[in-house]
Amino acid sequence: MSTETLFEKAELRNSSVKAWKEQGKKIIGTVCCHVPEEILHAAGAMPYRLRATGVTDLSEGDTWMSTFTCSYARGTLQYLIDGTFDFMDGVISSDGCLMAGRIFDNWKYVDGNAEKKEFYLKQIAAPRMNNENAVRYYRDYLDQMRTELGAYMGVEITDEKIRASVALYNETRRLIRALYDLSKSDAPVVSGTERLKLILAASSMPKEEYNEMLKDFLARAGSRAPIKNYRARIMLVGSALDDPEYIKVIEDKGGLVVTDALCFGTRYLWEPVELEGGDVLTSIAASYLKRPVCPRMVDLHDEFGDLIVNFCQDFKVDGIIYERVKYCEIWGGEGLYFGEHKGMKEADVPLILLEREEIMTNIGQLAVRAEAFIEMIEK
Amino acid sequence: MSNLIGTISRQVDSVIEHAKEKYADQMWMFDVQKASWDAVYHAHDEGKRLIYVGACAPVELIYAFDCVPFVLDMIPTRLASTPEVAARYIDLAEKYIAPTMCGIDKVDIGAILSGDMPDKPDAFIYSTVPCDNSRVAYPFICDRLGCPSYCIDVPFRKNEMGFDYMARQYKEIIVFLEKLTGKKLDWDKFQEIMTISNQTNDLMNKIADLRRITPCPLPGRLLVLNEMIPGMVGHPAMLSYLEAQYAIGQDAVAKGLGAVKEEKYRVSWLQNMLWSNVGILDWMERKFGAVLVMDAFGYQRGHVFRDIDDLDTICVDFAKKGLALPMIHGASGPVEDYIDLVENTMGDYNVSVSMFIGHVGCKHTWAAAKIITDMIQEKFGLPTLYLDVDAVDGRYKKTDEIRALITEYMETIEENK
Ligand code: SF4
Ligand code: SF4
Repeated sequence: MSTETLFEKAELRNSSVKAWKEQGKKIIGTVCCHVPEEILHAAGAMPYRLRATGVTDLSEGDTWMSTFTCSYARGTLQYLIDGTFDFMDGVISSDGCLMAGRIFDNWKYVDGNAEKKEFYLKQIAAPRMNNENAVRYYRDYLDQMRTELGAYMGVEITDEKIRASVALYNETRRLIRALYDLSKSDAPVVSGTERLKLILAASSMPKEEYNEMLKDFLARAGSRAPIKNYRARIMLVGSALDDPEYIKVIEDKGGLVVTDALCFGTRYLWEPVELEGGDVLTSIAASYLKRPVCPRMVDLHDEFGDLIVNFCQDFKVDGIIYERVKYCEIWGGEGLYFGEHKGMKEADVPLILLEREEIMTNIGQLAVRAEAFIEMIEK
Repeated sequence: MSNLIGTISRQVDSVIEHAKEKYADQMWMFDVQKASWDAVYHAHDEGKRLIYVGACAPVELIYAFDCVPFVLDMIPTRLASTPEVAARYIDLAEKYIAPTMCGIDKVDIGAILSGDMPDKPDAFIYSTVPCDNSRVAYPFICDRLGCPSYCIDVPFRKNEMGFDYMARQYKEIIVFLEKLTGKKLDWDKFQEIMTISNQTNDLMNKIADLRRITPCPLPGRLLVLNEMIPGMVGHPAMLSYLEAQYAIGQDAVAKGLGAVKEEKYRVSWLQNMLWSNVGILDWMERKFGAVLVMDAFGYQRGHVFRDIDDLDTICVDFAKKGLALPMIHGASGPVEDYIDLVENTMGDYNVSVSMFIGHVGCKHTWAAAKIITDMIQEKFGLPTLYLDVDAVDGRYKKTDEIRALITEYMETIEENK
């Protein structure tokens, strides 16, 4: 299996999507990281994380959401409306952030989608705190989703099926961590641009197939040419970043992106779901809620900072690029927490804030700022 | 400026001094403001615990523990009328956070960062609503304050699951307050306060009903003042304020009088209040006979405590009350909540002019604006004026510009009559 085949899966309408649909099977789009894909998988659907990669026209997104909103969210809505995602059989969203929630809300009102019975629409609520009470509340929503999705798919989503899906997904998580491990070395064999493509692939194809392909990729990674000619090791943190081109601009200037704390990155599938003996949905709810996945969780800012510090050490990071989509407020204030975090203050890793939009109209400016930062931190 | 609360409290005093002569019959409007700011300013002098609160905090419970609640967002909405002061805090906050964030949270953060807030509060009870902006601001403020705190995770949906989820948290807050104060909840006092709270909500609903009448007997400006209700519900001063307002409204109705001599238009604003330029409401009334009869921010249909003897019911009612608060009732959940809110406003108040005076910081309401205004067009046959403003930062758009845009719109409406 060639490496190109795996990279092709990062395309929005990749060959796995086509093959899946040809088998008459269903694809359900997900918004945000708080929709446990395991449950969709257990139902026999292919979960596909909606995104805006490569969007060049935001006219529909602008019309529905106005221009005072996150362009990643607008771009995702754009793709839903303009038919790029016409292979979706449904969308499940959580209230990840209010912009993501509005992707779902607006989509329902486009062409009366809410009334189309053949299209599955569900929005679950995900708490913003991590405690026992919150786990219980979240679990009940997952249960509701299990029942309703099962009815739509015409299957019973049993505990056994969910356990099997969790095992499969935990294997994906293990493999993704192994992929990132490759970048801990002084001469990594994978660039940040390539790695983002591999994560996008994970979010856009069946995990059985992905696991096999990634395993194969990892087994052959040793024969890839090591990257030695970089000037600095970069960590990316911030808003949803689904565009490999953005990373490429940074890497072209010599900043090798070795790790990240991005929801299309380590924050997508990383911490395993821990299945304890008891109720399977409670285990999923507890595992999902305790992840420092994005600043939407109001009581996990410290954990998020800890994660960044640990990654900086493990990946020998020289500098952090904190990229923020304009109008993304969830990430808009995280600088406050970085400034207060004890570990981050002690580690004192240089950090630069870059505002961006989903459509990269200003590549030149990004290149200039990234280069200036790299110059500052290179050793 | 040190001691921001003291400064505001003194400002209120001097406004009252001035008003005493000029508006002697309107002192009820000023008294409630004085009661509110003085209570906060003097809390510690009077040996009371001061508790900063965010949305959904159980104000009646706080009063029952003999503590003084202070809604932190009162600072930005108050300072918005003095742009140079608000700007100081906004500019400070923008050094650390995205300038696109909501001005309410920017002022809150700026005020905390500036060190201008007086004594440290004894506790902070906040929540995860209304929006992403507050979710950034409040936990940070909590960290900075370094006082005991409780954060209520407010559910996305207003349904039984959500009420139960919140009710469990309100029970924890009782324990939190008992620990903080070292006292058990005084049920007699709590019931007394809940009774006042119910009377307050009842009056609020009655006043809202008066506003349905044509001509609307009460001016738009009172909607702004009424925003103080949730933060003081259960306090006798708030009850007195609403009693006076209701009496005046009833009197006007009896005499067939409206807030303006000739009511030509019944206006609704679909998003936030324009705190940075509340005078626009008076100007619309004078210039066009256009009265803001109800707005989607101030629309309050308060839930009451159904059974003040039963803790389980009380906690569920706290949840329902919290979820019915401005910003949370329409904008913090699924868009259907917002649609229902606006549909009720448009229908119940016989609105003839629809305006989306859109605070730029409030992105999630902007992101629903088309759905909302399409519904208004379809169900009520009304077009909507879209106007981007900053509800807190007066520098965003000058008064003249706002007036010109509204004038242009009103002229089109007049032409098409
Ligand atoms: S980038 Fe920010 S605003 Fe946009 S969907 Fe993600 S968290 Fe929400
Ligand atoms: S006005 Fe909008 S953005 Fe600002 S605090 Fe309220 S809900 Fe949040």
